[in-house]
Amino acid sequence: MSPACRVARARPVAAQAGVGAAVGLAAVLLWPVLESSPRQKVLPPPAASVLDVPPPERLGRDHHVSVWSTVRRPARARSAPESGAPVVARVEDRTPEGTDNTLLILDRTHDARGRVWVRARLPALPSGSTGWLPRAAIGGYRLVRTHLVVDLDRRSATLLRNGHPVVRAHVGVGQPRWPTPRGRFYIRNKLVRYRSSFYGPLAFGTSARSRVLTDWPGGGFVGIHGTDRPDLIPGQISHGCIRMRNHDITRLGGLMPVGTPLTIR
Amino acid sequence: MDRSYFDRLDVDGALAESLQRTGLSRAAFLAAALGGSTALLGGLTTEAAGAQGDDLPSNDVFILNYALVLEYLQAAFYTEAERMGALRDKTARAAQVVGSVERAHVEAFKEVLGRKAVKRPTFDFQGATENPKAFLKTAVAFEDLAVAAYKGQATRIKSKPALMAALAIHSVEARHAAWMRYLFGVNPARSAFDQPQSRPEVTRVVRSTNFITGPPSTKAERSPRYMG
Repeated sequence: MSPACRVARARPVAAQAGVGAAVGLAAVLLWPVLESSPRQKVLPPPAASVLDVPPPERLGRDHHVSVWSTVRRPARARSAPESGAPVVARVEDRTPEGTDNTLLILDRTHDARGRVWVRARLPALPSGSTGWLPRAAIGGYRLVRTHLVVDLDRRSATLLRNGHPVVRAHVGVGQPRWPTPRGRFYIRNKLVRYRSSFYGPLAFGTSARSRVLTDWPGGGFVGIHGTDRPDLIPGQISHGCIRMRNHDITRLGGLMPVGTPLTIR
Repeated sequence: MDRSYFDRLDVDGALAESLQRTGLSRAAFLAAALGGSTALLGGLTTEAAGAQGDDLPSNDVFILNYALVLEYLQAAFYTEAERMGALRDKTARAAQVVGSVERAHVEAFKEVLGRKAVKRPTFDFQGATENPKAFLKTAVAFEDLAVAAYKGQATRIKSKPALMAALAIHSVEARHAAWMRYLFGVNPARSAFDQPQSRPEVTRVVRSTNFITGPPSTKAERSPRYMG
Protein backbone atom coordinates (compact mmCIF):
# COMPACT_ATOMS: atom_id res chain seq x y z
CA MET A 1 0.00 0.00 0.00
CA SER A 2 1.31 3.43 -0.91
CA PRO A 3 1.99 6.05 1.77
CA ALA A 4 -0.87 8.12 0.41
CA CYS A 5 -3.26 5.21 0.80
CA ARG A 6 -2.05 4.61 4.31
CA VAL A 7 -2.74 8.26 5.11
CA ALA A 8 -6.15 8.04 3.53
CA ARG A 9 -7.06 4.89 5.45
CA ALA A 10 -5.87 6.46 8.68
CA ARG A 11 -8.34 9.30 8.35
CA PRO A 12 -11.47 7.30 9.35
CA VAL A 13 -9.64 6.25 12.50
CA ALA A 14 -8.99 9.88 13.27
CA ALA A 15 -12.66 10.61 12.66
CA GLN A 16 -13.65 7.93 15.16
CA ALA A 17 -11.37 9.67 17.60
CA GLY A 18 -13.54 12.73 17.28
CA VAL A 19 -11.70 14.87 14.72
CA GLY A 20 -14.91 15.21 12.80
CA ALA A 21 -17.24 13.53 10.41
CA ALA A 22 -16.13 15.90 7.68
CA VAL A 23 -12.65 14.40 7.61
CA GLY A 24 -14.10 10.95 7.34
CA LEU A 25 -16.39 12.04 4.57
CA ALA A 26 -13.46 13.54 2.69
CA ALA A 27 -11.54 10.30 3.02
CA VAL A 28 -14.47 8.33 1.70
CA LEU A 29 -14.83 10.69 -1.23
CA LEU A 30 -11.13 10.59 -1.99
CA TRP A 31 -10.83 6.86 -1.60
CA PRO A 32 -11.74 5.85 -5.18
CA VAL A 33 -9.42 8.50 -6.52
CA LEU A 34 -6.49 7.36 -4.42
CA GLU A 35 -7.15 3.73 -5.19
CA SER A 36 -7.40 4.30 -8.91
CA SER A 37 -4.27 6.42 -9.27
CA PRO A 38 -1.36 4.82 -7.44
CA ARG A 39 1.17 7.07 -9.21
CA GLN A 40 -0.64 10.28 -8.25
CA LYS A 41 -0.39 10.22 -4.51
CA VAL A 42 -2.89 12.95 -3.73
CA LEU A 43 -4.45 14.37 -6.86
CA PRO A 44 -6.03 12.51 -9.75
CA PRO A 45 -4.05 12.59 -12.98
CA PRO A 46 -4.94 15.44 -15.32
CA ALA A 47 -7.11 14.70 -18.29
CA ALA A 48 -5.17 13.66 -21.35
CA SER A 49 -4.27 16.75 -23.35
CA VAL A 50 -5.68 16.93 -26.81
CA LEU A 51 -2.81 19.25 -27.64
CA ASP A 52 -0.10 16.76 -26.85
CA VAL A 53 1.14 16.40 -30.42
CA PRO A 54 4.52 14.79 -31.08
CA PRO A 55 7.54 17.08 -31.16
CA PRO A 56 9.15 18.31 -34.37
CA GLU A 57 11.80 16.18 -35.95
CA ARG A 58 15.18 16.89 -34.43
CA LEU A 59 17.80 18.12 -36.86
CA GLY A 60 20.41 15.59 -37.82
CA ARG A 61 18.04 12.66 -37.54
CA ASP A 62 16.36 13.34 -40.85
CA HIS A 63 18.88 13.10 -43.67
CA HIS A 64 16.55 14.91 -46.02
CA VAL A 65 16.50 18.13 -44.00
CA SER A 66 19.23 20.74 -44.44
CA VAL A 67 19.77 23.99 -42.58
CA TRP A 68 20.86 27.27 -44.11
CA SER A 69 21.24 30.80 -42.92
CA THR A 70 22.28 34.25 -44.06
CA VAL A 71 25.46 36.09 -43.13
CA ARG A 72 24.46 38.89 -40.76
CA ARG A 73 27.80 40.68 -40.85
CA PRO A 74 31.07 40.04 -42.66
CA ALA A 75 33.07 37.47 -40.75
CA ARG A 76 36.11 35.25 -40.88
CA ALA A 77 35.54 31.56 -41.29
CA ARG A 78 38.08 29.56 -39.31
CA SER A 79 39.45 26.05 -39.47
CA ALA A 80 38.27 25.28 -35.91
CA PRO A 81 35.64 26.69 -33.53
CA GLU A 82 38.09 28.98 -31.73
CA SER A 83 38.81 32.67 -32.08
CA GLY A 84 42.51 31.98 -32.63
CA ALA A 85 42.12 29.27 -35.25
CA PRO A 86 43.50 29.94 -38.75
CA VAL A 87 41.21 31.83 -41.11
CA VAL A 88 40.09 29.79 -44.10
CA ALA A 89 37.98 32.45 -45.81
CA ARG A 90 36.39 35.82 -45.33
CA VAL A 91 32.63 35.67 -45.70
CA GLU A 92 30.75 38.74 -46.91
CA ASP A 93 27.18 39.59 -46.05
CA ARG A 94 26.18 40.21 -49.69
CA THR A 95 26.65 38.26 -52.89
CA PRO A 96 28.01 39.84 -56.09
CA GLU A 97 24.39 39.93 -57.27
CA GLY A 98 23.35 42.07 -54.31
CA THR A 99 21.38 39.40 -52.45
CA ASP A 100 21.97 38.32 -48.85
CA ASN A 101 24.87 35.93 -48.70
CA THR A 102 23.83 32.46 -47.59
CA LEU A 103 25.60 29.55 -45.97
CA LEU A 104 24.71 25.91 -45.63
CA ILE A 105 24.98 24.98 -41.95
CA LEU A 106 26.60 21.61 -41.31
CA ASP A 107 27.33 21.45 -37.60
CA ARG A 108 27.28 23.37 -34.30
CA THR A 109 29.37 23.31 -31.17
CA HIS A 110 30.31 25.39 -28.12
CA ASP A 111 33.77 26.69 -27.35
CA ALA A 112 35.36 26.78 -23.88
CA ARG A 113 33.60 30.09 -23.15
CA GLY A 114 30.22 28.67 -24.04
CA ARG A 115 29.94 30.58 -27.31
CA VAL A 116 28.11 28.80 -30.11
CA TRP A 117 29.98 28.19 -33.38
CA VAL A 118 28.58 26.84 -36.60
CA ARG A 119 30.40 24.93 -39.31
CA ALA A 120 29.22 26.03 -42.72
CA ARG A 121 29.82 25.21 -46.32
CA LEU A 122 31.32 28.33 -47.85
CA PRO A 123 31.04 30.03 -51.25
CA ALA A 124 34.83 30.16 -51.32
CA LEU A 125 37.79 28.59 -53.05
CA PRO A 126 38.74 25.83 -52.95
CA SER A 127 35.25 25.07 -54.15
CA GLY A 128 33.12 23.29 -51.57
CA SER A 129 35.29 24.29 -48.61
CA THR A 130 33.91 24.60 -45.10
CA GLY A 131 34.75 26.72 -42.07
CA TRP A 132 33.62 27.65 -38.55
CA LEU A 133 31.90 30.97 -37.82
CA PRO A 134 30.61 32.43 -34.56
CA ARG A 135 26.86 31.98 -34.29
CA ALA A 136 26.53 35.74 -33.86
CA ALA A 137 27.72 36.26 -37.44
CA ILE A 138 24.74 34.53 -39.02
CA GLY A 139 21.00 35.05 -39.01
CA GLY A 140 18.08 32.78 -38.28
CA TYR A 141 18.01 29.14 -39.31
CA ARG A 142 15.94 28.00 -42.25
CA LEU A 143 15.24 24.50 -43.39
CA VAL A 144 14.92 22.83 -46.76
CA ARG A 145 13.91 19.32 -47.70
CA THR A 146 15.21 19.44 -51.24
CA HIS A 147 18.50 18.35 -52.78
CA LEU A 148 19.71 18.84 -56.34
CA VAL A 149 22.00 16.18 -57.78
CA VAL A 150 23.81 16.87 -61.05
CA ASP A 151 25.49 13.95 -62.81
CA LEU A 152 28.15 15.32 -65.12
CA ASP A 153 28.71 12.04 -66.94
CA ARG A 154 25.02 11.47 -67.60
CA ARG A 155 24.40 15.21 -68.23
CA SER A 156 21.39 15.07 -65.97
CA ALA A 157 19.97 16.93 -63.00
CA THR A 158 17.56 15.46 -60.45
CA LEU A 159 15.76 17.46 -57.80
CA LEU A 160 14.88 15.38 -54.76
CA ARG A 161 12.32 16.33 -52.14
CA ASN A 162 12.32 14.24 -48.99
CA GLY A 163 14.58 11.90 -50.92
CA HIS A 164 12.16 11.39 -53.79
CA PRO A 165 12.80 12.72 -57.31
CA VAL A 166 10.42 15.48 -58.34
CA VAL A 167 12.23 16.91 -61.38
CA ARG A 168 14.56 15.20 -63.84
CA ALA A 169 16.15 17.08 -66.71
CA HIS A 170 18.99 16.93 -69.18
CA VAL A 171 21.68 19.54 -68.70
CA GLY A 172 24.57 21.13 -70.45
CA VAL A 173 27.79 21.15 -68.42
CA GLY A 174 31.27 22.63 -68.67
CA GLN A 175 33.50 21.98 -71.63
CA PRO A 176 36.63 19.93 -70.86
CA ARG A 177 38.80 23.07 -70.68
CA TRP A 178 36.29 24.78 -68.31
CA PRO A 179 35.01 21.84 -66.28
CA THR A 180 32.07 22.11 -63.94
CA PRO A 181 33.54 21.41 -60.47
CA ARG A 182 32.48 18.23 -58.71
CA GLY A 183 31.65 18.27 -55.03
CA ARG A 184 29.09 19.42 -52.49
CA PHE A 185 27.67 22.92 -52.74
CA TYR A 186 24.35 24.72 -52.27
CA ILE A 187 21.98 27.12 -53.99
CA ARG A 188 22.85 30.66 -52.99
CA ASN A 189 20.36 32.93 -54.72
CA LYS A 190 17.84 33.24 -57.51
CA LEU A 191 17.79 35.82 -60.31
CA VAL A 192 14.68 36.62 -62.34
CA ARG A 193 13.35 39.15 -64.85
CA TYR A 194 16.68 40.05 -66.35
CA ARG A 195 17.16 40.81 -70.02
CA SER A 196 19.43 38.10 -71.28
CA SER A 197 18.18 35.34 -73.48
CA PHE A 198 21.57 33.67 -73.07
CA TYR A 199 20.70 32.81 -69.44
CA GLY A 200 17.06 31.94 -70.14
CA PRO A 201 14.15 33.04 -67.93
CA LEU A 202 15.77 32.51 -64.53
CA ALA A 203 19.05 31.60 -62.96
CA PHE A 204 20.17 30.11 -59.67
CA GLY A 205 23.50 31.07 -58.16
CA THR A 206 25.46 28.32 -56.44
CA SER A 207 28.38 28.22 -54.04
CA ALA A 208 30.44 26.26 -56.57
CA ARG A 209 33.32 28.11 -58.19
CA SER A 210 35.43 27.35 -61.21
CA ARG A 211 39.00 26.29 -60.59
CA VAL A 212 39.93 27.67 -63.99
CA LEU A 213 37.99 30.88 -64.58
CA THR A 214 38.86 32.48 -61.25
CA ASP A 215 39.11 35.97 -62.77
CA TRP A 216 35.57 35.83 -64.19
CA PRO A 217 33.52 38.90 -63.19
CA GLY A 218 31.76 38.13 -59.93
CA GLY A 219 34.27 35.48 -58.92
CA GLY A 220 33.66 32.65 -61.36
CA PHE A 221 30.60 31.19 -59.70
CA VAL A 222 28.72 28.31 -61.25
CA GLY A 223 25.13 29.14 -62.10
CA ILE A 224 22.20 26.95 -63.02
CA HIS A 225 20.19 28.70 -65.69
CA GLY A 226 18.18 28.49 -68.89
CA THR A 227 19.50 28.89 -72.39
CA ASP A 228 18.89 30.28 -75.87
CA ARG A 229 20.40 27.14 -77.40
CA PRO A 230 18.26 24.24 -76.20
CA ASP A 231 19.48 22.19 -79.15
CA LEU A 232 22.89 21.86 -77.47
CA ILE A 233 21.46 20.13 -74.39
CA PRO A 234 22.59 17.61 -73.22
CA GLY A 235 26.27 18.23 -73.83
CA GLN A 236 29.55 19.69 -72.68
CA ILE A 237 28.83 23.20 -73.81
CA SER A 238 29.33 25.77 -71.05
CA HIS A 239 32.06 27.69 -69.27
CA GLY A 240 31.26 25.63 -66.18
CA CYS A 241 27.65 26.59 -65.53
CA ILE A 242 24.82 24.09 -65.64
CA ARG A 243 22.43 24.93 -68.43
CA MET A 244 18.88 23.64 -68.72
CA ARG A 245 16.14 23.96 -71.28
CA ASN A 246 13.92 26.87 -70.35
CA HIS A 247 10.88 24.82 -69.42
CA ASP A 248 13.06 22.69 -67.13
CA ILE A 249 14.64 25.66 -65.34
CA THR A 250 11.19 27.20 -64.97
CA ARG A 251 9.94 24.02 -63.36
CA LEU A 252 12.96 23.96 -61.08
CA GLY A 253 12.34 27.60 -60.20
CA GLY A 254 9.01 26.74 -58.65
CA LEU A 255 10.25 23.78 -56.67
CA MET A 256 13.80 24.47 -55.54
CA PRO A 257 14.26 26.97 -52.70
CA VAL A 258 17.45 28.85 -51.97
CA GLY A 259 19.55 26.88 -49.49
CA THR A 260 19.02 23.59 -51.31
CA PRO A 261 22.17 21.42 -51.15
CA LEU A 262 23.75 20.74 -54.53
CA THR A 263 25.82 17.66 -55.28
CA ILE A 264 27.76 17.63 -58.52
CA ARG A 265 29.24 14.23 -59.23
CA MET B 1 -2.04 21.60 -45.57
CA ASP B 2 -1.48 23.86 -48.54
CA ARG B 3 0.97 26.33 -47.10
CA SER B 4 4.01 27.93 -48.56
CA TYR B 5 7.19 26.05 -48.10
CA PHE B 6 8.69 28.15 -45.35
CA ASP B 7 5.48 28.38 -43.42
CA ARG B 8 5.65 24.65 -43.24
CA LEU B 9 9.29 24.46 -42.40
CA ASP B 10 10.21 27.18 -40.00
CA VAL B 11 7.52 27.10 -37.43
CA ASP B 12 4.38 25.28 -38.24
CA GLY B 13 6.40 22.65 -39.99
CA ALA B 14 6.63 21.00 -36.64
CA LEU B 15 2.90 20.85 -36.44
CA ALA B 16 2.56 19.65 -39.99
CA GLU B 17 5.02 16.88 -39.29
CA SER B 18 3.19 15.97 -36.16
CA LEU B 19 -0.10 15.85 -37.95
CA GLN B 20 1.34 13.69 -40.66
CA ARG B 21 2.76 11.29 -38.14
CA THR B 22 -0.42 11.13 -36.11
CA GLY B 23 -2.55 10.83 -39.22
CA LEU B 24 -4.71 13.76 -38.13
CA SER B 25 -6.01 16.27 -40.60
CA ARG B 26 -5.71 19.93 -39.70
CA ALA B 27 -9.45 20.13 -39.23
CA ALA B 28 -9.47 17.08 -37.00
CA PHE B 29 -6.63 18.49 -34.98
CA LEU B 30 -8.45 21.75 -34.46
CA ALA B 31 -11.63 19.99 -33.59
CA ALA B 32 -9.77 17.99 -30.99
CA ALA B 33 -7.97 21.03 -29.68
CA LEU B 34 -11.03 23.17 -29.46
CA GLY B 35 -13.18 20.39 -28.18
CA GLY B 36 -10.75 19.96 -25.32
CA SER B 37 -11.56 23.41 -24.09
CA THR B 38 -14.89 24.85 -25.04
CA ALA B 39 -13.79 28.19 -23.74
CA LEU B 40 -10.78 28.12 -25.95
CA LEU B 41 -12.26 29.44 -29.14
CA GLY B 42 -15.21 27.11 -28.99
CA GLY B 43 -17.70 29.94 -29.01
CA LEU B 44 -15.50 31.99 -31.21
CA THR B 45 -15.34 29.42 -33.95
CA THR B 46 -19.09 29.02 -33.78
CA GLU B 47 -19.58 32.72 -34.24
CA ALA B 48 -16.98 32.98 -36.91
CA ALA B 49 -17.93 29.79 -38.69
CA GLY B 50 -17.92 30.29 -42.40
CA ALA B 51 -16.77 33.85 -42.16
CA GLN B 52 -13.42 33.15 -40.49
CA GLY B 53 -12.80 36.47 -38.86
CA ASP B 54 -15.23 38.46 -40.95
CA ASP B 55 -17.85 38.56 -38.19
CA LEU B 56 -15.46 39.67 -35.50
CA PRO B 57 -15.31 43.33 -34.59
CA SER B 58 -12.31 44.94 -36.24
CA ASN B 59 -11.00 45.82 -32.81
CA ASP B 60 -10.97 42.16 -31.83
CA VAL B 61 -9.41 41.10 -35.12
CA PHE B 62 -6.62 43.54 -34.38
CA ILE B 63 -6.15 42.18 -30.86
CA LEU B 64 -6.27 38.54 -31.94
CA ASN B 65 -3.66 39.26 -34.61
CA TYR B 66 -1.52 40.90 -31.97
CA ALA B 67 -1.88 37.75 -29.87
CA LEU B 68 -1.13 35.63 -32.94
CA VAL B 69 2.21 37.38 -33.44
CA LEU B 70 3.16 36.61 -29.84
CA GLU B 71 2.13 33.00 -30.35
CA TYR B 72 4.13 32.81 -33.59
CA LEU B 73 7.12 34.07 -31.66
CA GLN B 74 6.77 31.55 -28.87
CA ALA B 75 5.96 28.63 -31.14
CA ALA B 76 8.97 29.38 -33.33
CA PHE B 77 11.21 29.65 -30.30
CA TYR B 78 10.25 26.31 -28.76
CA THR B 79 10.16 24.55 -32.09
CA GLU B 80 13.65 25.67 -32.97
CA ALA B 81 14.87 24.66 -29.51
CA GLU B 82 13.44 21.20 -30.02
CA ARG B 83 14.97 20.93 -33.45
CA MET B 84 18.40 22.02 -32.26
CA GLY B 85 18.45 19.35 -29.58
CA ALA B 86 20.64 21.38 -27.20
CA LEU B 87 18.28 20.96 -24.24
CA ARG B 88 18.31 18.07 -21.81
CA ASP B 89 16.08 16.33 -19.29
CA LYS B 90 13.36 18.47 -17.67
CA THR B 91 14.09 21.49 -19.81
CA ALA B 92 13.83 19.47 -23.00
CA ARG B 93 10.55 17.95 -21.84
CA ALA B 94 9.18 21.37 -20.93
CA ALA B 95 10.15 22.77 -24.32
CA GLN B 96 8.38 19.88 -26.02
CA VAL B 97 5.15 20.28 -24.08
CA VAL B 98 5.03 24.06 -24.15
CA GLY B 99 6.05 24.10 -27.81
CA SER B 100 3.16 21.83 -28.80
CA VAL B 101 0.73 24.07 -26.93
CA GLU B 102 2.08 27.25 -28.50
CA ARG B 103 1.82 25.69 -31.95
CA ALA B 104 -1.76 24.76 -31.17
CA HIS B 105 -2.46 28.37 -30.17
CA VAL B 106 -1.06 29.51 -33.50
CA GLU B 107 -3.25 27.08 -35.40
CA ALA B 108 -6.33 28.04 -33.45
CA PHE B 109 -5.85 31.78 -34.00
CA LYS B 110 -5.16 31.26 -37.69
CA GLU B 111 -8.27 29.18 -38.03
CA VAL B 112 -10.42 31.79 -36.31
CA LEU B 113 -8.96 34.77 -38.14
CA GLY B 114 -8.95 33.02 -41.49
CA ARG B 115 -7.81 35.32 -44.26
CA LYS B 116 -7.46 38.16 -41.78
CA ALA B 117 -4.67 36.38 -39.94
CA VAL B 118 -1.32 38.09 -40.21
CA LYS B 119 1.44 36.13 -41.87
CA ARG B 120 4.11 34.52 -39.83
CA PRO B 121 7.16 36.75 -39.43
CA THR B 122 10.66 35.38 -39.81
CA PHE B 123 12.79 34.88 -36.72
CA ASP B 124 16.38 34.86 -35.66
CA PHE B 125 16.83 33.72 -32.08
CA GLN B 126 20.54 34.44 -32.19
CA GLY B 127 21.59 31.29 -30.42
CA ALA B 128 19.04 31.50 -27.58
CA THR B 129 17.68 28.10 -28.62
CA GLU B 130 21.12 26.51 -28.58
CA ASN B 131 22.18 27.08 -24.98
CA PRO B 132 20.09 25.76 -22.05
CA LYS B 133 20.68 28.78 -19.85
CA ALA B 134 19.93 31.27 -22.61
CA PHE B 135 16.90 29.22 -23.56
CA LEU B 136 15.39 29.30 -20.08
CA LYS B 137 16.14 32.97 -19.59
CA THR B 138 14.41 33.78 -22.86
CA ALA B 139 11.52 31.41 -22.16
CA VAL B 140 10.85 33.08 -18.80
CA ALA B 141 10.88 36.48 -20.48
CA PHE B 142 8.54 35.29 -23.26
CA GLU B 143 6.05 33.64 -20.94
CA ASP B 144 5.97 36.52 -18.47
CA LEU B 145 5.48 38.87 -21.39
CA ALA B 146 2.67 36.78 -22.86
CA VAL B 147 0.84 36.68 -19.54
CA ALA B 148 1.11 40.44 -19.17
CA ALA B 149 0.13 41.00 -22.80
CA TYR B 150 -3.05 38.92 -22.60
CA LYS B 151 -3.96 40.60 -19.34
CA GLY B 152 -3.38 43.97 -20.94
CA GLN B 153 -5.93 43.25 -23.66
CA ALA B 154 -8.65 41.72 -21.49
CA THR B 155 -10.54 44.96 -20.95
CA ARG B 156 -10.19 45.98 -24.59
CA ILE B 157 -11.77 42.90 -26.19
CA LYS B 158 -15.36 43.55 -27.25
CA SER B 159 -16.78 40.15 -28.16
CA LYS B 160 -17.38 37.66 -25.40
CA PRO B 161 -16.10 34.61 -27.30
CA ALA B 162 -12.86 36.40 -28.09
CA LEU B 163 -12.50 37.36 -24.45
CA MET B 164 -13.14 33.78 -23.35
CA ALA B 165 -10.52 32.57 -25.78
CA ALA B 166 -7.99 35.09 -24.55
CA LEU B 167 -8.67 34.17 -20.94
CA ALA B 168 -8.35 30.48 -21.69
CA ILE B 169 -4.96 31.03 -23.25
CA HIS B 170 -3.88 33.56 -20.62
CA SER B 171 -4.05 31.02 -17.82
CA VAL B 172 -2.12 28.49 -19.89
CA GLU B 173 0.60 31.08 -20.50
CA ALA B 174 0.69 31.70 -16.75
CA ARG B 175 1.28 28.00 -16.16
CA HIS B 176 4.07 28.06 -18.71
CA ALA B 177 5.59 31.10 -17.01
CA ALA B 178 5.59 29.33 -13.66
CA TRP B 179 7.09 26.19 -15.18
CA MET B 180 9.90 28.02 -16.92
CA ARG B 181 10.59 30.15 -13.86
CA TYR B 182 10.85 27.03 -11.73
CA LEU B 183 13.29 25.44 -14.18
CA PHE B 184 15.34 28.62 -14.34
CA GLY B 185 15.52 28.73 -10.56
CA VAL B 186 13.50 31.85 -9.89
CA ASN B 187 10.32 32.31 -7.91
CA PRO B 188 7.39 31.02 -10.02
CA ALA B 189 4.92 33.38 -8.30
CA ARG B 190 6.79 36.36 -7.02
CA SER B 191 3.94 38.72 -6.32
CA ALA B 192 0.33 38.71 -5.17
CA PHE B 193 -0.88 40.71 -8.15
CA ASP B 194 0.34 40.54 -11.74
CA GLN B 195 0.49 43.72 -13.75
CA PRO B 196 -0.77 43.99 -17.33
CA GLN B 197 1.34 45.41 -20.11
CA SER B 198 0.00 47.53 -22.92
CA ARG B 199 0.53 46.72 -26.56
CA PRO B 200 3.12 49.48 -27.06
CA GLU B 201 5.03 48.22 -24.04
CA VAL B 202 4.98 44.64 -25.26
CA THR B 203 5.90 45.69 -28.78
CA ARG B 204 8.85 47.66 -27.47
CA VAL B 205 10.12 44.65 -25.52
CA VAL B 206 9.71 42.30 -28.48
CA ARG B 207 11.39 44.75 -30.81
CA SER B 208 14.33 45.16 -28.44
CA THR B 209 15.13 41.45 -28.74
CA ASN B 210 15.63 41.71 -32.52
CA PHE B 211 14.22 38.19 -32.70
CA ILE B 212 11.70 39.19 -35.37
CA THR B 213 13.49 39.85 -38.62
CA GLY B 214 12.61 40.51 -42.20
CA PRO B 215 12.76 37.63 -44.66
CA PRO B 216 16.18 37.14 -46.21
CA SER B 217 16.74 38.79 -49.56
CA THR B 218 17.83 35.92 -51.78
CA LYS B 219 16.05 36.87 -54.97
CA ALA B 220 17.03 39.70 -57.30
CA GLU B 221 16.06 41.13 -60.66
CA ARG B 222 19.59 41.46 -61.97
CA SER B 223 21.51 40.00 -64.87
CA PRO B 224 23.55 36.97 -63.87
CA ARG B 225 27.33 37.22 -63.76
CA TYR B 226 27.79 33.48 -63.62
CA MET B 227 30.20 31.91 -66.07
CA GLY B 228 27.50 30.86 -68.49
